[in-house]
Amino acid sequence: MEKRGGNVRSHSTQTSIKKVKKGDIFRQQFRVSGEVYAGFIQLFKDKNPLHTDDDFAKARGFQGRVMHGNILNGFISYFIGECLPLKNVIIQTIKIQFVKPVYLDETLDFRAEVTDFFESVHTYEFSFYFSNAAGTKVARGNIQIGLLS
Amino acid sequence: MEQQDILLAVNEIFKEVLDNDQIVLSADTTADDIEEWDSLNHIQLVVAIEKHFKQRFTSTEIQQWKNVGEMCAAIQRRLQ
Repeated sequence: MEKRGGNVRSHSTQTSIKKVKKGDIFRQQFRVSGEVYAGFIQLFKDKNPLHTDDDFAKARGFQGRVMHGNILNGFISYFIGECLPLKNVIIQTIKIQFVKPVYLDETLDFRAEVTDFFESVHTYEFSFYFSNAAGTKVARGNIQIGLLS
Repeated sequence: MEQQDILLAVNEIFKEVLDNDQIVLSADTTADDIEEWDSLNHIQLVVAIEKHFKQRFTSTEIQQWKNVGEMCAAIQRRLQ
């Protein structure tokens, strides 16, 4: 069963449990726009030349400036906070591997699947990946979120 | 599986999850005895225990555990 993020609000744990089930798949598109890139640098001050200097990056085998991997963590935060059909959530764990570079203005497809649910502690696990326009996975990992009562 | 073996396995999980090699659990150990054992880490402990023993508990069950001994006894009952 595939779902796109919704905006249904719920504050009931039991109601939330019914909305997201093991096996559910969510998809979202994210664009690493100039605004996102500039905003990240402005906020976190990471101006390492790999991220800001095309020549530096090209000399090291990349096509150009490599976007900060943690921009993807921001997209995950948006997905959990805004795209799931439940709002009473807290991120407990994110494990992410950055397997290919991401460049400015790339559009990424994000896919997350609910791989487990722990009723005892009202906790979901997702596996996820980001892929680029060529279909290449650029990052993958797991997310654990809890339902707030 | 004997309860002592379960306790040893749970002890290793506690060390890993709470990042503290000094933890030595007994049946009487409670969250009050381990500084790192707070509500958020409790979730990670339960998830790790359920994965390790391949058993699932309900929220009602785990709320009844008053100490590590009761946790291990519940695991043992599930494994029988």
